[in-house]
Amino acid sequence: MAEVARVPDSFLPLTPAVFHILLALADGEKHGYAVMQEVEEMTEGKVQMGPGTLYGSIKRMLAAGLIEESDDRPDPTLDDERRRYYRQTGLGHKVLREETERMAELMALARRKHVLAGIGSRSILT
Amino acid sequence: MRGSNGVPAPVDLSVRLYIWLLAAYPGRFRAEYGHHMAQVFRDVCRRDYEHGGLPGMTSLWARTSLDLIRTTVEEHIERGLHMNHEKFVRWSGWALMGGAILFAAGQVIGNLDPNRNDPIGGGGASYEIGAIVGLALGQVLFVIGLLGLRAGYAERSGSLGGMALIVSVIGAGLSLAGILMMGVTESELAWQAWAIGLVAMTLGLAIFGVVALRRKVFSRWNFAPLLAAVTLLLPLSGLAGEWVSAVTVAAFSIGLVLVGFRMQAEAGISGEVAA
Repeated sequence: MAEVARVPDSFLPLTPAVFHILLALADGEKHGYAVMQEVEEMTEGKVQMGPGTLYGSIKRMLAAGLIEESDDRPDPTLDDERRRYYRQTGLGHKVLREETERMAELMALARRKHVLAGIGSRSILT
Repeated sequence: MRGSNGVPAPVDLSVRLYIWLLAAYPGRFRAEYGHHMAQVFRDVCRRDYEHGGLPGMTSLWARTSLDLIRTTVEEHIERGLHMNHEKFVRWSGWALMGGAILFAAGQVIGNLDPNRNDPIGGGGASYEIGAIVGLALGQVLFVIGLLGLRAGYAERSGSLGGMALIVSVIGAGLSLAGILMMGVTESELAWQAWAIGLVAMTLGLAIFGVVALRRKVFSRWNFAPLLAAVTLLLPLSGLAGEWVSAVTVAAFSIGLVLVGFRMQAEAGISGEVAA
């Protein structure tokens, strides 16, 4: 069946894996291992995706039009030609922005309810 | 300790084992991503072995095993759901075509009844039974076909098209209930249920038909739902006569056969996938 044009809202909330992959691709195209490394660095090792999670998510994101494969190679001499590079699409960028806004609104709500009061003071003390 | 290709033996062995375990994924997924998954695993293996030695590798295998089990199940379930969805849309396309043919056959048999205008005539019982069976079976297939139409095309029909298809399915169900009631009672309610259901089904189909024309929900023949619906509404507009009845039945059936044909032909060409 033909691909359906979906609005960014319809993807929310994103799964943690999809959110982190979109975030890793926010500053340029990367191959799978680079995405995995970036996610680990961003989260200080708290999020460690296995190859199955990474490529399962990539498959669904490609199908949904959130990311696309890139034919460009940053430096072909330094890289295995068979690696696939991925980059955000316009839709992927919008979805990431809307998800971030949604999370920011939740964060603001939690702050108003003083949910973070204890956590904040503890992190200041430590 | 180095393997034959200069790679540390634990890394080499781990990668070989991982490639062997990739066989657990569905074939299409493995063919598309297996090589890249093995490549990523090899990179992570090297890194963890260099930084953590054998304990690092053990930790990596613990994580990878969980990832492998979870995502293997996910991929198989997703593949199964996708296949079931495709199959349902395809078979409901055939159901819609069969329903249209039975509906037309029921109408033709009913019109062949020599006593159809005689309120006390009894000689045409077999015609009547034939007509009712044709209409009832046709209506059952309409319900299945319209459910499949909704399952396969609601998302690209927008909220209006999706709602119209729900109305159409409910109408078809109500009309079927009316036909079944006719078999056990001569209550006026049965006729009302059949008629109201048929009108609701047709109106829903007409609205979906307009949406189909505007949004091109089928790859071709987007006029078909509207052709089926509008012609069935002709008799309700006050027009009467044998020719109206014949044109109505023929156009309604042809319209639905075309819709059903598109459904079974387009099912599975490209799935609707959510991230």
